Amino acid sequence: MVPDPQRRLAGMARRTALIVGADDPADSITSGLAAAGWVVLRLDDDDLAWDDHTVATAFPDLDGLDLVVHARYPAASRQRDALMELTDDDWRIRADEPFEATIRLARSAHPYLAASAGTIVFLVPLMASAGGEGFAPMATAAEGARLLAKSLAKTWGDDHIRAHAITLDPSAFLAPGEAAGMAEANSLHDPPLGRVPDLSTEVAPIVNALTTDDFTSLLGASLVVDGGLWMPG
Amino acid sequence: MSATPTPPSPPVAGLLEGRVAIITGAGQGVGEGIADSMAQAGASVIIAARRAETGEPVAERIRDEGGNAAFVKCDVTVRADVDNAVETAIERFGRLDVMVHNAVSPPGVPRPLQEIDDQTIALQIGTSTTASFYCAQAAFPHLKNDYGSLILLTSPAGIEGSGNLPLYGAIKGAQRGLLKSLAREWGPEGVRVNAIAPVAWTPAMDVATTANPTLEARLRGRTPLQRIGDPTADIGPVAVFLASPLSRHMTGQTLAVDGGRYLGL
Repeated sequence: MVPDPQRRLAGMARRTALIVGADDPADSITSGLAAAGWVVLRLDDDDLAWDDHTVATAFPDLDGLDLVVHARYPAASRQRDALMELTDDDWRIRADEPFEATIRLARSAHPYLAASAGTIVFLVPLMASAGGEGFAPMATAAEGARLLAKSLAKTWGDDHIRAHAITLDPSAFLAPGEAAGMAEANSLHDPPLGRVPDLSTEVAPIVNALTTDDFTSLLGASLVVDGGLWMPG
Repeated sequence: MSATPTPPSPPVAGLLEGRVAIITGAGQGVGEGIADSMAQAGASVIIAARRAETGEPVAERIRDEGGNAAFVKCDVTVRADVDNAVETAIERFGRLDVMVHNAVSPPGVPRPLQEIDDQTIALQIGTSTTASFYCAQAAFPHLKNDYGSLILLTSPAGIEGSGNLPLYGAIKGAQRGLLKSLAREWGPEGVRVNAIAPVAWTPAMDVATTANPTLEARLRGRTPLQRIGDPTADIGPVAVFLASPLSRHMTGQTLAVDGGRYLGL
């Protein structure tokens, strides 16, 4: 897709984003994008029916989406529990249902993204690609989402849809005590940045940048935005 | 394309002597190849397969060749079936050291995510993430007794994504999220968790190459070793390695056993 200056200027004036998920990182990304001038829609109801019509049902008048950000991990999946302590229902609620909901969201958002040559970004916790003791269900659903981004980038390129994943520090998803443990388990050093990036003022601009024509040739990226804590090969 | 030089299959005899392994989806393809190799390595193997007409002959052949094998009917999406496979291993062979979860529902024909039918979605998730959870939970109490090992079969698609099979890429990636977390969780108990991402001749590959006659040549052309793996000679020995003390300091890893097709790690 060759950048189109006309579309770029027109799009900048009325860009619409759908942010999916409750609490952080969805809340902070919403703040950051709204501050950058985006019209932001939210889907954050855990009780919502996640099916192929979720977006159409929630927003019947919508005619296109320039950006979808998926950051939905139900509260139950953010709890630490050893795998052997989980019931079958726990697994379903924490792993399989959120994973399928991610797939259904992507399917339901496809026509709107195609209409606007939009971008879909999956925000995932560090545990997805690095593992997390006590968070196996969340890591399962999240790594599935990260790989879905790569697969969609390959499939939906013909529709001019871009798909990416951004790995964030565990603190973006977990309570401070739990997040500190996760970070320590993954590195012997502090983030070279000296701090964890702020979601609203430092991560949201990266999400925003991924939607611009400056990044048209970046497809299926799996970025790690954690201040340099985790540097996978 | 001319035949590619292929070294002899590596010897595995004795590497798993006295060990007991369950292999799901062992009625054919990669699962059968892993069962063959593990039996050749001295392990007693449970052939866990959904259909007796494929699983029983594999167990019978391994026994005829001098190995120890038993067939267990097992639909990996049914918790009771997985539990029964573990119980059978204990009853028949007295222990369980290795759980290999290989079974997966066929991904279907290549198509975009939004065109995949609901049944395929349910079966792909059920046989990958749900079944991995069942296999892990059922096996762990036995694996921790003597430095056991959980091995998940994933795919290069679970590392680099797949344009042809986007759902398959996602579910195989999800399994890698699970394995890395379990590696951290079970490491202190001495249980290792690893994965294999193979490219090999399987019934699904046969169907794909028959339907698309140029696929084999294209795949070989993009593979440094220029051949598609043999389940028993190429994939099985790597599973034996991951189950044996040879890999005792490895956990949380995914080994791409694909002739060099994927070189991104």
